[in-house]
Amino acid sequence: MSFTASIAQNFDTAFAIQQGWGPWLALLAASLGTYLCRAVGVLLSGQVSQDSEFFRWLSAVTYAMVAALTIRLIFLPIGLLATVPLYLRILVCILAIGVMISNPSRRLVPALLTGTLLMVTIGVFWK
Amino acid sequence: MSSDPPSTPRFTSAHDAFWSGVRDARGAPAMVLFAGMVGFGAMGRTNGFDLWFTSATSFLMFALPGQIVMLEMILLGASSFTIALATSLTATRFVTMTATLFPMLHEHDRNKALYAKVHLLAMTAWAVSLKEFVTIEPKYRLSYFMGLGLLCWLISVPGTVIGFLIAGSVPMPITLGLIFINPLFFLLTFTEIKVSGYRLAILLGSIAGPIFYLIDRDTSLLAAGLMGGTLAYWIDRRWIRCYDRKGTA
Repeated sequence: MSFTASIAQNFDTAFAIQQGWGPWLALLAASLGTYLCRAVGVLLSGQVSQDSEFFRWLSAVTYAMVAALTIRLIFLPIGLLATVPLYLRILVCILAIGVMISNPSRRLVPALLTGTLLMVTIGVFWK
Repeated sequence: MSSDPPSTPRFTSAHDAFWSGVRDARGAPAMVLFAGMVGFGAMGRTNGFDLWFTSATSFLMFALPGQIVMLEMILLGASSFTIALATSLTATRFVTMTATLFPMLHEHDRNKALYAKVHLLAMTAWAVSLKEFVTIEPKYRLSYFMGLGLLCWLISVPGTVIGFLIAGSVPMPITLGLIFINPLFFLLTFTEIKVSGYRLAILLGSIAGPIFYLIDRDTSLLAAGLMGGTLAYWIDRRWIRCYDRKGTA
């Protein structure tokens, strides 16, 4: 099937309603839970001075949590990324970081493109 | 991180700061978020969700890790309560992210309206704001954040819709690149952290993350953050800062 034909077929069925009230209820609950976390952050921010020890601890916890998420997404991914061997994933990360630290102030987009295009290339040649 | 205003003002008006935020968002942050949302839309389509539900998820939750967890759990047939609990656990990072970013705003801006504006906060906007706020006068920081966050939020729905519509039509390598862009962005922003205590927190979080993930998936982020971060904070306070003080004295 050609690209345009498959897009057209997607359009035909895309707007059909498939979800009952169950998933919508889950979405509502999940959205509320996610928003509550943001709101609690605002509440805490009103009482936290950024020079305080508590702020330093909170920043350390946040950085550690974001780092844990990132490492998990790269080293223990679920789905398609898991089909790429670990050493290739690590190699791509090292190369992207190399581009990044060659000039940290203006290299985020080139570094991102390097990593992403390398991963696309791996997808082309691996299978 | 310092709240001292820079010596030369970067903006002359709130309007100026807002559009500067929009311009900054158009680069890497929007690209990353857009790609992530395209990947999410594709995931919704391939798993049999309809367009309304998939795009409403991006609009209402605006937190990719939580959105992915929710889709997976709905497919597994989990109850709404369990789904809410699990997604809230992945969203706990917003508590600390907000509590670290918003104290940098001007006193005048820290009012009830922040409870609405906080919805625009996601990992990408947080990382950029934290870096840029240092060079922006406190009174213009909120305007800058609004410009940045609003654009990121507004492109998330079109991104999801595009991903939904092209799913199954793009070759596998492109999908692979799209799903890799999110973790890569987070990884790259770590190289911009200059405070040694926070660098240590990133290192310890990276080690603790996989360990706790193998023990229990749902609580692993929270546990790894608390353990790794607290240990890093303690080591920093006990040894690194003392050493720095001796070095400069």
